[in-house]
Amino acid sequence: MRAEVVVVGGGITGVSAAYFLAREGARSIIVYEKNYIGSGSTFKCAGGIRASFTSQEHIVLMKRSIELWGELARELGVKYLRSGYLWLASRERDLERLKSYSAIHNSFGVPTRVVGPDFLSKVAPYVDSSRLAGALFDPLAGKACPFDATQKLYSVSRRMGVDYRFEEVTGLLAEGGSVRGVRTRTGDVHAEHVVVAAGVWSKPLLEKAGVDLPLAPEPHHAVITEEFGRLFDPLIIDVETGAYAVQTFEGHVLMGVEVPEEHLWEPTPRLDFLEKVVRVWSRWLPWLPRANLIRYWVGHYEVTPDHHPVLGPVSGVEGLYVATGFSGHGFMMGPVVGEELASWVLKGHSRTREARNLTVDRFREGRLIKELAVIG
Amino acid sequence: MAGLKAMLCMCEGVTLEDVDRAIEEGFADVESIKRRLRIGMGTCQGRYCVPILIAYLSRKLGVPPEKLAPPLVRPPLEMAPAYIFTGGDHEG
Ligand SMILES: Cc1cc2nc3c(=O)[nH]c(=O)nc-3n(C[C@H](O)[C@H](O)[C@H](O)COP(=O)(O)OP(=O)(O)OC[C@H]3O[C@@H](n4cnc5c(N)ncnc54)[C@H](O)[C@@H]3O)c2cc1C
Repeated sequence: MRAEVVVVGGGITGVSAAYFLAREGARSIIVYEKNYIGSGSTFKCAGGIRASFTSQEHIVLMKRSIELWGELARELGVKYLRSGYLWLASRERDLERLKSYSAIHNSFGVPTRVVGPDFLSKVAPYVDSSRLAGALFDPLAGKACPFDATQKLYSVSRRMGVDYRFEEVTGLLAEGGSVRGVRTRTGDVHAEHVVVAAGVWSKPLLEKAGVDLPLAPEPHHAVITEEFGRLFDPLIIDVETGAYAVQTFEGHVLMGVEVPEEHLWEPTPRLDFLEKVVRVWSRWLPWLPRANLIRYWVGHYEVTPDHHPVLGPVSGVEGLYVATGFSGHGFMMGPVVGEELASWVLKGHSRTREARNLTVDRFREGRLIKELAVIG
Repeated sequence: MAGLKAMLCMCEGVTLEDVDRAIEEGFADVESIKRRLRIGMGTCQGRYCVPILIAYLSRKLGVPPEKLAPPLVRPPLEMAPAYIFTGGDHEG
């Protein structure tokens, strides 16, 4: 058994890599997924998409990803809306912080701006503005449906000839400083290139090949209400706590907030999360206490020491690539990461300098990247 | 032929034809079909439709039903108003 490229992991990163590799002309691609498509972090995420970060790497890559989200919506019919992000501040000092972020965004060409209650009543009619000191609006941001996006990339790339196998990769084959393929319980598969896009599980897999990935599984919780008509278009963030809420394409309100957590591979549900998220959001959404909560779950952020992804070739093992460590932003980055990986694998270099800055070597060389705006 | 449609999930209005199409698109497990078609993601949370989906997939794919384990029912087991989690009183 032999392939040009093997991709390990069928989350947004894996299916997007497969799609762009097929589009750019890779001859044979096999994707391994140990469970079902999207079963890792991807189907647990909120679907939020933005370029309003404070590092050049995040901003440049996310501006490109947003262009690609638009393309995927037009060409594949992916459910995606450029409905914005709205950061809500109730205290003057939080508003000052938002203004300083906005200056950074604007200097990188991301057109965020400060808005008041009149604007709120237009884009978010069911958000209470009586406590509002001011808000930051990002018109370039938006949301996509994680199920729809991931499953469409899967179906389309499958039609383009990508071979999906629902099996676990148990080890990487490497020899003389080069990757040779992957091991599964049903046998070895040889490949010129192996892309590890296995989410938090990339760490134990790469460990077996002697590659140390500074990656931690950080539990993050989310809960969803019953369906409503239009409440608010943008994804909203409470600046004080970092809590977020987004109305899904079907009308549910999906909410998350950070609660103190250890790094855990098998996270468990927590009542104190529900208590906190309802308390925080009831201040902005006065109708929330009487809304029904229908589902609650917990998943992982794949967190690196500098909250930036690890992308591209692994030095010392030719033909081996990695794409993880998204630290809470892996869904939105899916398209640009797929495109960058296709370039690395097929052309031997990244598309952008910013992607090249994110290889795993930066941890060894002490070139960590600074980002000021990380949200729950 | 405009025939009668066999409805599988009432909450989200999903038919057996929709399931057949999803299988053609490459989805062949309960978790994936649930999310592709939103079967069981409405107010009943899959209590009625998921067993029917399992029985149908089992026949169609020739896989024993116990191999098509039903998706996790996520907490809260019954839907519940948000205020009960804050200990607050929002009745009335
Ligand atoms: C509550 C929550 C909210 C979030 N909100 C957002 C958001 O709004 N916007 C955003 O951009 N991001 C968000 N994220 C983060 C986002 O979900 C992740 O960064 C992203 O989904 C990572 O995708 P991935 O494909 O890299 O990894 P995963 O989705 O985890 O996929 C990895 C896949 O690899 C498979 N796998 C692992 N090991 C093996 C193996 N050995 N063999 C075969 N298969 C294997 C797994 O089964 C899994 O399906 C959120 C996360 C959580 C938990």
